[in-house]
Amino acid sequence: MEGQEQLMLVMNNITKRFPGIMANNHVNFALRKGEIHALLGENGAGKSTLMNVLDGIYYPDEGEIVIEGDRVDLRSPLDSMKHGIGMIHQHFMLVDSLSVIENVILGLESQGFYINKKSVAGRIKAIATKYNFRVDPYAKIWQLSVGEQQRVEIIKTLFKGARILILDEPTSVLTPQESEELFGILREMKSEGKSIIFISHKLGEVMSVSDRITVLRKGRLMGTVDTASITERELAKMMIGRDVLFRLERGDIEQGREVLRVEDAQAYNDRGIMALDKLSIAVHGGEIVGVAGVAGNGQVELAECITGLRHLVGGHITVEGIDVTNASPCTLVSAGVNYIPADRLGVGLVPNLSTVENAMLRKYKQKSMRRGTFIDYGAACAYADGLIEKFDIAVPLKNAPVKVLSGGNMQKLLLAREIDENPRLLIAEHPTRGLDVGATEFVRKTLLEQRDHGVAVLLISEDLDEILMVADRIAVMYEGRIVGIVDAHHADIAQIGLMMAGAVGAKT
Amino acid sequence: MNPTFGSILIKVFAGAVESGTILLLPTLGEVLTERSGVLNLGLEGLMLIGAFFGFLGAMKTGNPYVGLLLGMVAAAAAAAIHAFICVTLRGNQTVTGLALSIFGAGLTSFYGDSWVSQRLTIAIKPMAVPVLSQIPVLGPIFFSQDLIVYAAYILVAIFWFLLFKTKVGVNLRAVGENAKAADAMGVNVVGTRYFWTILGGALAGAGGAYITCCIHPYWLNGITSGKGWIAVALVVFAMWNPFNALVGGFLFGSIEALQLQLQAAGTYINSALLSMLPYITTFVVIIVATVIVRVRHVGTPKELGIPYAREEK
Amino acid sequence: MLRFEKRDKTPVRLRVLVPICSVLLGLFVGSVVMLFARVNPLRVYGAVVKGAFGSAYTFSETLVIAVPLILISAGLCLVYRMKFFNIGAKGQYIMGAICGSYLALFGPATMPRPLLLTLMMVLGTIGGALWAIIPALLKAYWNVNEVIATLLLNYIASYILWYLMYGTWRDQRSHGFPLSKSFALNAQLPRILPAPSRLHIGLFFGLVAAGIVWIIIRKTRFGYEGRVLGENERAARYAGINVFKTIIIAAAISGGLAGLAGIAHTSAVLRILQLEINSDYGYTAIIAAWLAGLDPLVAVGVSVLLAALEAGGYQIQIVMRVPFGIVGVIESAILFCLLAGEIVTHYRVSLTRRLTA
Repeated sequence: MEGQEQLMLVMNNITKRFPGIMANNHVNFALRKGEIHALLGENGAGKSTLMNVLDGIYYPDEGEIVIEGDRVDLRSPLDSMKHGIGMIHQHFMLVDSLSVIENVILGLESQGFYINKKSVAGRIKAIATKYNFRVDPYAKIWQLSVGEQQRVEIIKTLFKGARILILDEPTSVLTPQESEELFGILREMKSEGKSIIFISHKLGEVMSVSDRITVLRKGRLMGTVDTASITERELAKMMIGRDVLFRLERGDIEQGREVLRVEDAQAYNDRGIMALDKLSIAVHGGEIVGVAGVAGNGQVELAECITGLRHLVGGHITVEGIDVTNASPCTLVSAGVNYIPADRLGVGLVPNLSTVENAMLRKYKQKSMRRGTFIDYGAACAYADGLIEKFDIAVPLKNAPVKVLSGGNMQKLLLAREIDENPRLLIAEHPTRGLDVGATEFVRKTLLEQRDHGVAVLLISEDLDEILMVADRIAVMYEGRIVGIVDAHHADIAQIGLMMAGAVGAKT
Repeated sequence: MNPTFGSILIKVFAGAVESGTILLLPTLGEVLTERSGVLNLGLEGLMLIGAFFGFLGAMKTGNPYVGLLLGMVAAAAAAAIHAFICVTLRGNQTVTGLALSIFGAGLTSFYGDSWVSQRLTIAIKPMAVPVLSQIPVLGPIFFSQDLIVYAAYILVAIFWFLLFKTKVGVNLRAVGENAKAADAMGVNVVGTRYFWTILGGALAGAGGAYITCCIHPYWLNGITSGKGWIAVALVVFAMWNPFNALVGGFLFGSIEALQLQLQAAGTYINSALLSMLPYITTFVVIIVATVIVRVRHVGTPKELGIPYAREEK
Repeated sequence: MLRFEKRDKTPVRLRVLVPICSVLLGLFVGSVVMLFARVNPLRVYGAVVKGAFGSAYTFSETLVIAVPLILISAGLCLVYRMKFFNIGAKGQYIMGAICGSYLALFGPATMPRPLLLTLMMVLGTIGGALWAIIPALLKAYWNVNEVIATLLLNYIASYILWYLMYGTWRDQRSHGFPLSKSFALNAQLPRILPAPSRLHIGLFFGLVAAGIVWIIIRKTRFGYEGRVLGENERAARYAGINVFKTIIIAAAISGGLAGLAGIAHTSAVLRILQLEINSDYGYTAIIAAWLAGLDPLVAVGVSVLLAALEAGGYQIQIVMRVPFGIVGVIESAILFCLLAGEIVTHYRVSLTRRLTA
């Protein structure tokens, strides 16, 4: 039996609604002292919402939170901090232009008015040493790698005396090796008596690091289990609601001619730092090349260079033998280059324009949709109707802003628009991020279909499982270069992980 | 060297410090406001409000310092409108600032109509700093001024220290750079933005009131004549650093003083062209400063002009 | 504590209600300001209405003011949709007046009237457009803040006018006053009503311009590109829209219309170039465009309303000695309320009480 004194935290009947969805539906959650408790669920299952409630960012519509036997009212992250809760968000809550010291003491009440940098730096170093890692307290955040930034986040919460640590998908930005190091730190903290909530949708790491697991699905609690008493397969069933993970059928196809060739590409990122360092890659018709790598190693810049959104300062890009180096996005569209950007609402779609106006975004200059300087809205409407029907997109009102569509339907619209007109090259950047299972499956199937039709597909993803599932060849990117290309059928995950970390650089 | 020429030069530069202070105060305020992520383009209106209520206060009480204080309070109150619309109601900051400028001009010319051309009997007088004012050249230029000028020097130092050396400054910068992160760390984003917007308003008011309570102790409609806009531009020049605001303020004060001296000396250059000089210079400087800021990737608070909404999904 | 909940769509009634409430609240704020000055607001508003709509003549004077507002606000509706905050209509108006007047003052006297007038209008339009293209280029290439740039250009334009009026363009017989010589009949834009009305054919320019801009926004490729650009610049680049070109053309149209307003007003109403050429319409038009929700057709109606306020404002200044500044107070208060009111079109706002723990 669980004694009350053993429980660090209890969340009872938490309900949180957002317009149109119930993100948390009467969820119960209990955390013991000195345990690593994984919160498992798919994208959109309500894990982050539940933890944001605990962190005071969202206020629950119903339910209560009890910490060490006392009922608490968490109105803000400050309230949570006072109760010893510290959250490390998926997107780090760090201020880039400030130093590590400044980030650590940000918002801290215990610090005096004047910042004694030396003493803070000393305490930061002490914490780091205790858990066997290093960090330069005087460095500015933007100078640090993603892994280092995550450690700054950990230091921040410990500095504030957190006893409950929440980590939201902490490994999504790390290499497998960096993840292992993180797990080491977490186990160390557990032995110190800290309680850790670990949010994830990856079964493997949850099994290896956690003591207990709570599973959420579509905002509801599916149950809490001891890690030791459950198998990966059972967990998957709890998480997804059906028996087996889908397997993608795919036939072998003859590799076609070379469609995309990038040679010694060089480009700067937005900060003016060289993001592509003489990168070369080739993609053939009828194959999917997956680009694996930790975020921020130049993947975004690569996609932008190929689609004409970023200026190349060196090297060449050819599509079907034609030089398209620094060609305009328009030229590239007519050359058959299509693009599914990671940031759907930021790049791919215009949130406040209607479905029709979004459907015609890449096609409005074509003869069929214009009458002189005017746009033929009739033709545009007919075109949009065609897409909606063909791809079974759920659109409540064609003239309503596209932002009211669900994430899955937005992605369908985007995908439909991009592959509609006989593409030769498709660049897909994190095409399933944030989608539910059904939409994810649809997107992956569509990518494979395109491949079967002879399209060259470049799939950029942080999700190694996705790449392994879909790609024919895997190119690993590190610091602006392709450090290795492996055949997906004989891929060795450990090998890929080492390449992602820059440890192995041999080209095959 | 001709001694009269030297003394004229000293006079020009002493005037430059005075004119520079008019610009420095609102620029300093706007540096802090923008650091918190709020863009307040209403400086011109706030300066007018400060100038008029400062004049009114000095007139009614006979004490120009009370006037200055009233001018600051009035401008701070007007800046609170900006804060309410932009921070709480997430309104468009550019247009709200513009409305604030129109409001300040309209309000002061409505109430000020009956005061036009009336003069203050007692204005703020210079007070030489003992010892320091005896330094040759620098003494008469920097230390034979009035209390407001000295206060401005001190404020620059205080705000520089506050911004870069204290927790208050870290919180302020964090709010303007990444409000979400600051919020997650328990910094009161809304409160911070309100505070610095209102304080910036008070400083803009001080700049305006300094004109009517000290330099030109009378009231005219639109007496600030675009100085508020120059101050907005100077913030870019200053790259959001209080110390650079001091440099910028005095640089533009020098142009202003030079222009006035040339007009008084009756040169052949047309007075319209001379009056245009500060605006042309500002125009060129803002271009150069923008390019520098962009090349060096420094300065501009990342979330300047972007409202923060916590519970957005 | 205020609570905000994002709306999926905005009910139509709110889009109508917010501007109307803003106008009413603006008038209320104006009343409070007047009460502090011991002025009876009801009498003032009565006089404003009478001064603006009291007779056929006063209404035609209201329309005289509405013409430049309609022209300028139509252009602003276009650029503001692209998030290019041109507040330099004042300077563009002045440059239009100067450029067009050059022909009136120094052009060949024998030129036939229609030709001369056409050339004047074209020159004025070009002058205004160029004055707007400068900040647009700076914005496009170096990302210079267009608000500051256009504002400084307003002051520079004012001083250019000043320079000319005290310099070479001053009439020798003006006894030292900064006035040009009067425009010859050939250079006067025709008025359309019998004297003393000064309403001129610029009204048709305004209506046509508003219609054309509406069509540009709604029906053309350029307008579509502009709307995409205004909503999402990265999506615009991704769609292959030339961002620079679009902004520069829109700025040129907006500046050109302001310039046209300047020369039309100068040529038809003032018939002389002088220091005071009512260039503050450049600011009033901003309010008109915003109040109209950036719809150029709605802006026509709003322009007439604001023109009535201004026309009435001139009247009360003369008749009741109420300073004209009150118009600025009312206009800015309307704009404040409108900006504040926009929140309810995006969010459901409710008051919540802190729950007790």
